[in-house]
Amino acid sequence: MSDGVVHNAVFTLCAVLILLGSAAVVWARNPVRATLLLVGAFLPTALLYVLMHAPFVGILQVLVYAGAIMVLFTFVVMMVNPGPKDGELKTPDAASGRTKLGIAALLAAGGAPLIALVRRAAAGLAPAGAPAADFGELSSLSRLVFEDPANNPLTVSFELISFLILVGIVAAINFARRSPGTSRGA
Amino acid sequence: MLAFDLPNCLTLALVVSLIGAYGLLTRRSLVMILLSIEVMLSGANISVVAFNYFVWSGRAYGHYLYMLSIGVAAVEAAIGLGMAIVYFRNHQDISRERAGRLHEGDA
Repeated sequence: MSDGVVHNAVFTLCAVLILLGSAAVVWARNPVRATLLLVGAFLPTALLYVLMHAPFVGILQVLVYAGAIMVLFTFVVMMVNPGPKDGELKTPDAASGRTKLGIAALLAAGGAPLIALVRRAAAGLAPAGAPAADFGELSSLSRLVFEDPANNPLTVSFELISFLILVGIVAAINFARRSPGTSRGA
Repeated sequence: MLAFDLPNCLTLALVVSLIGAYGLLTRRSLVMILLSIEVMLSGANISVVAFNYFVWSGRAYGHYLYMLSIGVAAVEAAIGLGMAIVYFRNHQDISRERAGRLHEGDA
């Protein structure tokens, strides 16, 4: 029983931190600060994954998301935003107050019934039994993806992701290369 | 204190996605729009892993779906940021209004 109380407390803490972090990302004026706040929102998300018996997913969240992708964002923000005022954007970087209020009201009006619907549907789902002993571990995940590769559609989709990343690399290199004959670049 | 169950996890995921959608619709900078898309993806990832844990915890299909999702997110970030850099190099500005005028030929 105390185990459940600890789970509830950790979940509450994670949820509050994730919500505050995400909202701060969206509202932050300085893009560098927004990127770092997003890293701060991803770390409690990783803790939440560990709470859901997904330790490998939590590790991926920290290493790949908070580590690699956010560092890429930070670099790009530093490159494209060399404003004189300590990284502040030169033009106001948000819609006007009335537009913002309207969009927030629209999203709240659409989101509230959606949340009620999702909660009712989720409460009606049959809960799973206790997870298997190795649920969420790397060994079970690799068995899921690579067991019997000739007949396993997950193996194909996994290899397709590597092909997608290859296409992404080629596209990024193509963007970065200046076309010859023009002084202003691609 | 919130209970650690499927409705609360899905509500969290949905609210995070809505926050991301708000940023997507209100921010002007292309980089901030990409960051808002990452927030929305994060909400989707939470829901996928929560479903796998609470409803069907036999095999880790949700965890695999999460891996696919971050693969796509990485490629999307790389290409989107590459486009933002090229756009900034040409126009010294990455606001959404500026990018929206591409079709008029003077952007």
